Amino acid sequence: MTYILKKIATLIITLFLVSVLAFLAFQIIPGDVVTSILGTEATPEREDALRAELGLDKPPVERYINWATGVLRGDFGKSYRYSKNMNEMMPVADLIGDKLPVTLWLALLSLILTILISIPLGVLWAGTKNKFFDGILNVLTQGSMAVPAFFLGILVTYLFGIIFKAFIPGSYVGYKDDFPGFISYMIFPAIAIAIPKTGMTARFLRNSTLTELKSDYVRTAKSKGVTDGHILFKHVLRNAMLPVVTFLGMIIAEVVAGSIVVEQVFALPGIGRLLISAISTRDFPVVEILILYITMVVIIVYFIVDIIYRILDPRIRVE
Amino acid sequence: MIKIENLTISFDDKKAVSDISLEIKPGEILGLVGESGSGKSVTALSLMGLMSHEAVLESGRVTFGDTCLLKAGEKPDEKMLRSYRGKHMSMVFQEPMTSLNPTMKVGPQVAEQLLLHAKDRYPDAQSRRKCVVETFESVGLKEADSLYDKYPHQLSGGMRQRVMIAMAVILHPELIIADEPTTALDVTIQNQIVRLLKEINERENNSMLFITHDLNLARRICTRLLVMKDGKVVERGDTEKIFTDPQTDYAKKLIAAVPGRVKHPEIDINNSTGNKILSVRDLSVFYKEQSKKLFGGKINRQVVFSAGFDIYEGETLGLVGESGCGKSSLCKAILGINTNIKGSIENKTVRPQMIFQDPYSSLNPVRTIGWQLEEPLYTMDVLDKDIKTDKKWRKEQALKMLERVGLDESYYSRMPSQLSGGQRQRVSIAQALITKPKLIFADEPVSALDVTIQDQVLDLLEDLQQEYGIAYLFISHDINVIHRVSDRIMVMKDGHILEIGDRDKVFEDPENAYTKELLAEP
Repeated sequence: MTYILKKIATLIITLFLVSVLAFLAFQIIPGDVVTSILGTEATPEREDALRAELGLDKPPVERYINWATGVLRGDFGKSYRYSKNMNEMMPVADLIGDKLPVTLWLALLSLILTILISIPLGVLWAGTKNKFFDGILNVLTQGSMAVPAFFLGILVTYLFGIIFKAFIPGSYVGYKDDFPGFISYMIFPAIAIAIPKTGMTARFLRNSTLTELKSDYVRTAKSKGVTDGHILFKHVLRNAMLPVVTFLGMIIAEVVAGSIVVEQVFALPGIGRLLISAISTRDFPVVEILILYITMVVIIVYFIVDIIYRILDPRIRVE
Repeated sequence: MIKIENLTISFDDKKAVSDISLEIKPGEILGLVGESGSGKSVTALSLMGLMSHEAVLESGRVTFGDTCLLKAGEKPDEKMLRSYRGKHMSMVFQEPMTSLNPTMKVGPQVAEQLLLHAKDRYPDAQSRRKCVVETFESVGLKEADSLYDKYPHQLSGGMRQRVMIAMAVILHPELIIADEPTTALDVTIQNQIVRLLKEINERENNSMLFITHDLNLARRICTRLLVMKDGKVVERGDTEKIFTDPQTDYAKKLIAAVPGRVKHPEIDINNSTGNKILSVRDLSVFYKEQSKKLFGGKINRQVVFSAGFDIYEGETLGLVGESGCGKSSLCKAILGINTNIKGSIENKTVRPQMIFQDPYSSLNPVRTIGWQLEEPLYTMDVLDKDIKTDKKWRKEQALKMLERVGLDESYYSRMPSQLSGGQRQRVSIAQALITKPKLIFADEPVSALDVTIQDQVLDLLEDLQQEYGIAYLFISHDINVIHRVSDRIMVMKDGHILEIGDRDKVFEDPENAYTKELLAEP
């Protein structure tokens, strides 16, 4: 219980610090949302008017406090750039709420693919005595890690979209309109994300399995007459998974925060793309909330990793 | 009867064992003794067919009764070997800490044996559990039923070794191979485990191959002995015969090097001048530990409780106690490495030094021996104003010290990896002595060394003591080593000093019941 309270306390403190830092960063970086909206030709009067409208004429501390109290009340503010209709700016909550499911589905699909493929692959790879299989996997996983994400995206599009005609590139449909169609489109960007992650995880698991195979308890198991397969899956896997769980946590945190390149290549309206455009147009309310979201995701994922770790490794279980 | 005939095994064309033959008769305990690297473990693993993949079987064969388990030139039949492993022969390993799977409960790990080899007799989980619990009890494990569901880390070293033994005996195999089964354990636990193994041997009337580097231990448990050196058997025969009348030079040397409790008059000189050089009063040592409470911060955990003792010039004060009793913490506090202490330490010498246990990891692997020896000299001029710590002087000092510890000039520019364990420990000693301290803390300085090397290093330490009039606080878990070097003995348990006194008094007439148990000649 105290463990969970401790974690929640860290979460709150970190979120506060990150929001202050993001706010400060926005004060320092050059560029101004007003010029970005109105262009360089605008009159000073018009600029001042817009500045007053957005509340930017107030001193920074007051602006931060206003924003922070708003967030605490559940009001995430309004985007400076996106409008709902002619007269109203788009609330940040609506904006993100619209794009978040796209990123989350993408993350979920790519993670399922990564875990399903990499774990059996890594263990079998470590267990194999076949030199050919070993060599092929070595080349494939190394290659998958070396190819840049945008090129992989293009490759997947070309292979599945143009050659196999498994999907029509650019034919993204919203999850609200056609869910099965949405998923069947999302599979392909998910593959593009999963390929390098699978390569990395499989290599990582292979190495940790090989290390475990040299340990004393494996020798003990062998002296009992246990078969190699049994040693691999019943004795070694759980121990070898320990470092891999931490590694998977890092991957999860990465994909849940939005895969900017893949979203761009497959024209997906996810939060990765939103973040890029919000930063370049100095859309502060959107950026702040996105940064808080990413921070929270990272902390929560690590918390979950911690719990899984405790389940896998009895040595660090809390009494 | 288990037989090894003319066995030769090599790694990368280097012979690990060559032309070894041995046979183990039912009911006997055959000892395999020798120093590290003599090929004892490889021999044992070859019986089980468990050598690593790099090992090449060049000649010979291993037979179990009428079955041939291994033969040079033939691919081992893994399936057949597996049916023998665990069922007909089993192994107890050295490291009870790492030899059990840390993520699996101990009961199921033992039950795995039943599942593999005796599923017909123990078809369901309940019967297997019953059998494991009974075996746990037979090897002296208490509360066996609740132990079944515990993880290895919840058990002490001695208990884990008992679990390993339970695993080895549960199917009543004809042969048990015990590879240094007590080396990693504390003295009192060591005795219990040896007694248990002997008892099992008598009860089951099976054969046992007992591998050890500790000749005292071999003498207590083994009926016959095989002395190995550099992969060859140099001598074999009945244990007592080898001990009383060794034939080969090597066996003679090995047996002479065994630290016994016999008094050596020539080295039994008490060098103490009676001047107090260190007095410790009411010393408590703490470690900071993260509190489990929310916002709890750090808490102090006490590891030494009001220790008080003196060290006199030129004497050796032996410090004994089991692992975790606070021996090393006490030294670190006196040396000022740990400053989280209460009480008073009055040190009348300058630059007290420490010699560490592990010569492999306590030298910097990327620096030359010369560099490491010179390092403590840089600040010598802080206290001794007349010393010029220039390059020439430093090198001179380092070379002099090297010579004194029995290493020639060429070692000056060598790297630690090019040295053997004994040579490294000589370097550690040189490093401690180079600033000419009058007080040295030696923390298990010979525990990681082979007997013959151990003997040489102890000789060196004693010579240096006489030459420079150094006082040692000598920590060891090996009672025989302590008996050999100490003038006085201090016994510690759970952070408390139980007893301090002259060696002979403590050995012959201990005041404390724990001391009695610890020092008891087995």
